[in-house]
Amino acid sequence: MTMTAERDIAPAAWLKATARPWKRKVAVTTLLTVADVAPAIGFAGGLAMTVARFSDGLSAATPWLALAVVSLIARGFVSQAMLAMGATMARDVKADVRARLLADLFQRGRRSADRLAAPVEGVAALDGYYARFLPLRIAAGVSPLIIIAAAAMASPVTAGLLVFTLFPLIVGMALAGSAAAAESRRQFSALERLSGLFIDRIRALPAVLAFGAEARVTQEIADASRELETRSARVMRVAFLSSAVLEFFSALSVALVAVYCGFNLLGLLPFPVPEALTLAQAFFVLALAPEVYHPLRRLAAAYHDRQAAEAAVPSLVVEAAVPERQVDLPMTAPAVRFKEVRIAYGPGAPVIDRFTLDVRPGQIVALTGASGVGKSSLLHLLLGLAPLTGGQVEVGGAPLGEAGHFAGQIAWAGQNPVIIPGTLADNIRVADQSASLEQVSTAARAAGLDLSLDRVLDERGGGLSGGERRRLGMARAMLKRAPLMLLDEPTANLDSASETAMLDVIRKAARGRTTLIATHSTAVAAMADRVVRL
Amino acid sequence: MSRAVEGARIRAMIAGQRRLERGRLRLAAAGGAAVSVAAVCLLGLSGWFITGAALAGVAGMLAAQTFNYLMPSAIIRLLAIIRTGARYVERVAGHEAALRALARLRPQLFSALAAAPPERALGLSSGEASARLIQDVDAVQTLFVRLSTPWALGAGAMSAIILTSMATPTAGLLLALTLGVGAFGSVILARRLADPAGRELQVAVGALKDHIGALEAAAPEMKAYGLQDWAADSVASVAARHDAIQTRLTLAAGWIALWQSGVTALAVVLVVPATVGASLPMTALAALAAVMGVEAASGLAGALHQNGAAAQAMARLDELTTEPSVDLQAAVPSHGLRLAARNIDLAPGMRLAFTGPSGAGKTSLIERLAGLRPARPGEWFLGETDAAHIRPEGRRALFAYAAQDVRLIDGTVRQNLLLAGPADDAALWRALEDAALADRIQTDPRGLDAPVGAGGEFLSGGERRRLGLARAYLRDAPWLLLDEPTEGLDAATQGRVLEALEQRLARTGQGLLLVSHHPAPLSLCPVTVEVGKLHGPLQTSDQSALLTA
Repeated sequence: MTMTAERDIAPAAWLKATARPWKRKVAVTTLLTVADVAPAIGFAGGLAMTVARFSDGLSAATPWLALAVVSLIARGFVSQAMLAMGATMARDVKADVRARLLADLFQRGRRSADRLAAPVEGVAALDGYYARFLPLRIAAGVSPLIIIAAAAMASPVTAGLLVFTLFPLIVGMALAGSAAAAESRRQFSALERLSGLFIDRIRALPAVLAFGAEARVTQEIADASRELETRSARVMRVAFLSSAVLEFFSALSVALVAVYCGFNLLGLLPFPVPEALTLAQAFFVLALAPEVYHPLRRLAAAYHDRQAAEAAVPSLVVEAAVPERQVDLPMTAPAVRFKEVRIAYGPGAPVIDRFTLDVRPGQIVALTGASGVGKSSLLHLLLGLAPLTGGQVEVGGAPLGEAGHFAGQIAWAGQNPVIIPGTLADNIRVADQSASLEQVSTAARAAGLDLSLDRVLDERGGGLSGGERRRLGMARAMLKRAPLMLLDEPTANLDSASETAMLDVIRKAARGRTTLIATHSTAVAAMADRVVRL
Repeated sequence: MSRAVEGARIRAMIAGQRRLERGRLRLAAAGGAAVSVAAVCLLGLSGWFITGAALAGVAGMLAAQTFNYLMPSAIIRLLAIIRTGARYVERVAGHEAALRALARLRPQLFSALAAAPPERALGLSSGEASARLIQDVDAVQTLFVRLSTPWALGAGAMSAIILTSMATPTAGLLLALTLGVGAFGSVILARRLADPAGRELQVAVGALKDHIGALEAAAPEMKAYGLQDWAADSVASVAARHDAIQTRLTLAAGWIALWQSGVTALAVVLVVPATVGASLPMTALAALAAVMGVEAASGLAGALHQNGAAAQAMARLDELTTEPSVDLQAAVPSHGLRLAARNIDLAPGMRLAFTGPSGAGKTSLIERLAGLRPARPGEWFLGETDAAHIRPEGRRALFAYAAQDVRLIDGTVRQNLLLAGPADDAALWRALEDAALADRIQTDPRGLDAPVGAGGEFLSGGERRRLGLARAYLRDAPWLLLDEPTEGLDAATQGRVLEALEQRLARTGQGLLLVSHHPAPLSLCPVTVEVGKLHGPLQTSDQSALLTA
């Protein structure tokens, strides 16, 4: 079960708030985006004057031609600077969001395959928003006005026309922005679903193959894949249609300016105007006209980025981390006291109810009982992997309720020791990152793990047998210097000779520690100072 | 198998999808060509119109009256409409074709992966596999979308060259040269900057997903050992590498765009002076047509920018697929089994147990038989045929396998059971009953529809094991293959499970291969083979014990 913090949060506000620490980079990127207008004006002026002066000979036109060329190249550099700035800003914001997601994922300590898409696909969806949309949104308000002001110097009437044509464009933009937001969210959900489905089914692939269920699982994937296609196609069509409408408006506006200029030059306007344009002026405003709409069209194209980002936001919001109060356990074997403990994972019946137990310091206690009775849950409670929904637990006088968990201060061997890709040594070192190779090797030997420490393991176990995995778990517990040891089925998957050997290992490891063991084995129970039947 | 041949498989898949989407892709190409021609003509004509009008205006009232302004202004508007419409058609048709093709490619690739030899299919981590089926498939999208690029580029360049040639032939020639240099430079830049970054990006996203997937699976372990921060930092550092490569790719796109600006400048510098001698309106037309001609090549820049990622994605996807091995037979000749080294013959319905010290290779031995690990020639025989000569999927059909490492999908109890094949609810409950799990599932108000969580995390270890057992019971196969079926079960539950198993075997007549350390389950079988110790043939007395069981 995941605790996706999908609350009523306004995605737009969240996106803005997230960029707040990078205010300066946003400002610089925006400034560079606006700075693009300078070479645009230079190019229009250079081209217009080149054409106008061309009849006087090539030499008269050359300086203006040079201006056009320099402007073009300058424009390339400005846009490259903007791109670089936008990309680094987006990278910083994404890294920050991802760090928060990862902290949340691992802090919870619970598996949640459906949250795996957030740090990859979810964070990737933010890129376009910060790299393009955010700087463009401000620039799109400023740049057209600057260009219109430049056009006004050549032809005030054209400038008026341009201002006038901006209105339908802005209305169109607003419409394009509000359309398809819900569809974008559905598209992102479909992507999350597909991504999670792949991870889960590949994890279960051994079972899928063993049961010949390839066709059924392929069908599931085909359905999820088609769902994503349908959603994407809808979002895409709306995006392309709205940008086509904007493009059409801007083309008509440019044509309007062209017709006005043409008729003004011909002197055939049916109404009086206070200006008579020269060729240079007319050519200048005509070349500038598309530039007025250029930032708006780019913004419209980036609307898609905004929608993609907003669609991803609900998956990216994490609850503000509750600062945990680290409660230090004593360095000597502690007493463990369970009082009227209740553990319930959901609204259903509790797994453990009214459980009371006093464990003296240094004792070895075996917890036994039928499968599913909650033995593992009691151990998980101390690690913060199971919730304390009632009663009290104290370890060495420290109440669990206040600490939340004592994870990190416990030597633990779980029922199904998970393998991370890496060497065997890396895998043992999970218990203590600071351990030397010497210590790792000692722990491995003590746990009876006589494999090469350099052996590379993959996530499916890299060929470790069930018993070897068990010993890996024990080696981790041996490596961890902690006064409390929790072992979950330490002798499962071991033959009786290995089990006897393992009992020795446990006895040695338990010296000077308080030890709780969940087990079905009568041999383990016989070794314990005390057996508690749940 | 050479690498070139391997690349051929994914290429063939993509070519097949292109054939299916031929109509849309042609429409997109036509749209792309129309956009370029319209854009070049639109701007060229506008420049000509303005300049012509200015000259006519200067020449006086008469010239102004006779200047044909209706035709050009009408054509300008028509071109504007064509450009918008054609661009919409190009984008929608191209992307729709790509999306539909990708939606079909994903299941196709998954199925190819599942059909690969077990060491290949199971050798890929879940994160890496997910990255290939999502991000790599996304990266080949460009192979569909960019099909319209050559048409757009060609049509745009041709019309720009024709228009400038109308000013002077030299201008047209110079523009053609500039466009050639521009395209050449873009290709070089893309190869030097974008290709390596694109290739690395696909690998990096695979590594990132792989890392997150592996550590997420270990999340409880990480938390228990207080390694949350280490895990988060470790993923963040892999992510940082990915982000840095992505930034490089973005900047590579920027450098290509900068080169395009330079080419535009070069076109203007060369074309404008070359129009000396033509009329002023023709100079204007030539200058603007040249600018737009270069712009028509921007699609090429986009396609080049994604080239590296697409090429790498193709190679990675190709690794998922394998040529079905022709020298393996599909049919299973017999349901009888033979373990050659021990001289054990098992007729359908017989039972055999394997035991031995942990790490001796019991699980590997039966998984080699069941087609989940590469078979060793001469080890197992089906009838007279070496198992290594029979396709793994053919062998899998013989076995209902309850593995030691129970793999559950993140779904409901029912979904997990139905992996074994179609069955009605009564059959599901019977199987759960025989696995001593029915009571537990009944206490949940959702019953069979109760979710089991990722990797079955809502169930206890013993419950997961019994669900795996119930799933094996549901599969209609001649052999039941049980690896440590009662591990993690208390004595009472173990007793119930074994008693039900005995009855079930009597009822179905299924054979049994069992792996265990415990005496109780081993007692189900008349003969127990010690794995990893003795490699001699089985005693004749044991062979007769097998027969009498």
